[in-house]
Amino acid sequence: LLFCLRRYLLCEVVSDDPRCRLSLEDRVLSGLVRDTIARVHGTFGAASTSIGFAVRYLNAYTGIVLLRCRKEFYQLVCSALPFITYLENKGHRYPCFLNTLHVGGTIRTCQKFLIHYNRRQLLMLLQNCTDEGEREAIQKSVTRSCLLEERSDEEELSDSGGEEPSEAVE
Amino acid sequence: MPASATTYERIVYKNPSEHHYMKVCLEFQDPGVGLNAAQFKQLLISALKDLFGEVDAALPLDILTYEEKTLSAILRICSSGLVKLWSSLTLLGSYKGKKCAFRVIQVSPFLLALSGNSRELVL
Repeated sequence: LLFCLRRYLLCEVVSDDPRCRLSLEDRVLSGLVRDTIARVHGTFGAASTSIGFAVRYLNAYTGIVLLRCRKEFYQLVCSALPFITYLENKGHRYPCFLNTLHVGGTIRTCQKFLIHYNRRQLLMLLQNCTDEGEREAIQKSVTRSCLLEERSDEEELSDSGGEEPSEAVE
Repeated sequence: MPASATTYERIVYKNPSEHHYMKVCLEFQDPGVGLNAAQFKQLLISALKDLFGEVDAALPLDILTYEEKTLSAILRICSSGLVKLWSSLTLLGSYKGKKCAFRVIQVSPFLLALSGNSRELVL
């Protein structure tokens, strides 16, 4: 489908409040991004970005969000994301911001980047964790992800797509 | 006799002016509405904000002259924002509930060109 070129924006929701990520829902986030684009880029921006716009993947535990938009207008979406300052759900407002991690042309490239990024995050968590029980759990996840990495390197030629290692729930 | 080698330098200007100047006139459906210069600028910025959002409402736009009686003005805008300003002026429909329209009389990258118009030349 060469006439339907899209860009996938991989973002992370960062917030001080732990309840913020749990109240992430795709409809809430989609409405929030559309409102922000309408405020920042006006009627023209809202109309041009709303055609191919969708929230494709949402992970409430890690706060990872995958947004899809048209290739011609992805810069409007990308430049409006820093203007998102809060997440509103059921009357509660949680201050947060969206970190753009990766812009890819297909879901598969974003998934590959996400796997790499999660592995690095696991290692960082291992350095920073304080509790012994947490340390053991993270070490187990790291070894599991290393085994999966070896297996997915062998199978790289075939279309497996890789697997995401389990997240350490904070 | 062979000509002596001369060194020369060729300078090409693709688009020397960074600003475009527009002569516009505001027309109301019912006469008798007056605006001062600040309200006029507020109207322009709200037109830009409606269509293109806060980012383009902050384009460096200046009103160089303004006549309150005829509601005509000379605007200056950076060249990258000319299309956006012109399209938002086209789509502006009303001011405080009263219907109005912007007539664009002349556009030029040189301010001197706005002083004379060959259409109004009296021979």
